[in-house]
Parts: sequence; C-alpha cells; structure tokens
Amino acid sequence: MKTTAQPNIRQDLLYIQTSGTALTSNIHGMSLLEDGEIIEPELPFLYHTPLDAIRDGWRVIQFPNAALMLDESKTYGLGCEFILEKIRCLDA
Amino acid sequence: MTPTQIYNCQPTLTDSEVFDFCKTGYLMLENVVADDISQRTTNYIEENGHTPLLNEDWFIEGVFQNPQAAGAVRSLLGANFALPIKLPNHRVNCPMSSQNWHRDGGSRYGPQVNLLQVFYYPQDTPPEMGPTEVLPGSHFFFSLQSWMGHYGTIRGSELTAAPAGSIFITAYSIWHRRSKSTATGWRNMLKYIYWRTTAPKRDWIVEPDFESGQPPNAKFSHPTHQQQHRNWFDAAEMYYWLCGGTEAFDNKVGHDQWPPGYPVPNWTPENYHNF
Repeated sequence: MKTTAQPNIRQDLLYIQTSGTALTSNIHGMSLLEDGEIIEPELPFLYHTPLDAIRDGWRVIQFPNAALMLDESKTYGLGCEFILEKIRCLDA
Repeated sequence: MTPTQIYNCQPTLTDSEVFDFCKTGYLMLENVVADDISQRTTNYIEENGHTPLLNEDWFIEGVFQNPQAAGAVRSLLGANFALPIKLPNHRVNCPMSSQNWHRDGGSRYGPQVNLLQVFYYPQDTPPEMGPTEVLPGSHFFFSLQSWMGHYGTIRGSELTAAPAGSIFITAYSIWHRRSKSTATGWRNMLKYIYWRTTAPKRDWIVEPDFESGQPPNAKFSHPTHQQQHRNWFDAAEMYYWLCGGTEAFDNKVGHDQWPPGYPVPNWTPENYHNF
C-alpha cells in the first residue's frame, strides 16, 4: 500500500453515543480506533461524558448531527453521537 | 421446501412474563431441551450438517415443539402458530472476534408481534464461546443496519450465555450480534422463526389483578436509550396489541392524569411523576 503524505502520524477515533447533545450527557455506547486497531472498550466506560474525553485530550470532530434529527416514534439509533480524535505520533 | 405445519399447545406465560417480553424483546429459557436431544443434535450436525434436521421427527418434537419453548411461543403468537420451515446454523470456529451490531433484514417496527425469532444452543455456550449478545429494549429502536457498524460496547447489553439445551425467544427486530469468543472449538447455534396465523388476544395465563393494579414488573431493570418514558409507552402498546389490538391502549392516551403519550395510569414506572 502506498504511504500517505504524513506517514509518521496516525488518527485515533472515539465514537461516543450519548443520551443528549450536552457535553455532560451520559454515555450509552462507545467504540474506539486506537493505533489502527478497532477496540471495544470494557464496561464501566473510562469516560462518563463527552466532556471527560475532551478533558483527556480528545478533540471533537463531529457533534450530534442535527440533519439526522430523530423522531421518537420512528427513529432512534443509539441517540446522539459525538466523534472525537487524537493524533498519534508514530515517532514518539 | 418444507411445507408449513401448524402447531398448538397450552400457553405457559403469565401476563407478567408477556409484559417482560414486551419490555426487553427477548425471553431466555435455560436448559429446557432434554440433554439427549441436544447431544443428538450436536452429533447429527457433525455427521450430516444441520439442514436435514428439519425432517427429523425427534428434533421437531424435542426442539420446535419443546413444551416450555412452544408454550411461550403459543402465548405470544396465539393458537395454531406455524412451525419453522428454515433452520440456519450460526456455526462459529472459536476463537472469533465479535460481529457488528445488527438487526436482521426485514425487521419492522411497532407493537405487532407476528413472528418470533428463536435461538437454540445444543451445547454449553459460556461467554468464552461467543454467545449472542442482545440489547434489551432495542426491538423498538429503528436504525438502518448499514448505520450500525460503528457501534461497539453498549451499556445494558446482555450476553445470552447459557447451558446446553437453552432456547431464547426474541422479537425479530432486536439488535444482536455474535459476541467475541476466546475459547477453542466449534459453536453451533440454530436459529429459526415461528409465525402467527390467528389474531392476537389475551389467551395466555391471565393474572386477574394485572391490568387494574400496578403490575409487579412495571419497572425496567435495563437502561433505556430512548426518550423519557418512551420505552414504557412502547412496551405497554405492545402488550395491548397482544391483548387484541391497541384500541384499549389508545383510549387511555390523554387521560387527565397522564401526560399524552406516556405511561398508562396505575402502571407507573419507577421515578415517574406527573408534570
């Protein structure tokens, strides 16, 4: 596979599904891309809210998408979703 | 193709158990199939594959018509329900990573219970063997399967780890997946569907005070991922649909002590308050 323009960094991703759009909302679900591997975090979750994750250095790259506004009688998914990232430096 | 066969037996579930199914979307019946049938099933699969089991009377009687399982199916689908005509085997060579969360194709959402998806473990299936993981209450969550692949750990999910001979019955649309396995060996899990042929009515084991009083199981023991009280509303609506239609339920919506669309009077969940 061809290398990217920045081969010395790698993106980590944290998906968090929450009960609401507030940064202090409770977390329903979580999945993680860490150093190129998909990880399923164990319960209890390391973070209780998106704010906890931000305080631990995660940067929000997507807030719950209002374009997917849910109708409680029809649509759900797992509630509101935050996507966060960290940039991993492979040379470190 | 296997012709449709109709079956009938006595219902075995009570009002409370039917309502539990409405709340969680599944019902576990541990070790209900006789050990000799489960062992024979496992051996048969090794020698012949699983598909010919559909033509084996001992399997149909021991599993599809198992008194506890069929009694529960009879309670939920009414008299003269149809027996399964297909029998996939979700056979896994452990260890194996977990599957993506999904709901099976053809899922419909709403209070209707016109078919049941049933899982049978012919062998011991502890957590190490990757039992199916289910998300209680998710039979009411609409989500496109193609939009669920990034979900991972979900609070409130449950492993259906169970001894050989266990059967669990699910609402078709429940979210589920094969969980991660760490042991070595083959895991068989047979999956099949029963469906309704008669209109719903409350002909399971009736608890006289169930509807008029506070049901003993009105509380939800699993976390909800829905809007406040919506889980309760959906479960109550499903229960009333099973009783013979939602008209009785609809008539209660808007009761003066009942915020529109929320719990039925006298069936109040924990922490409920009028506002």
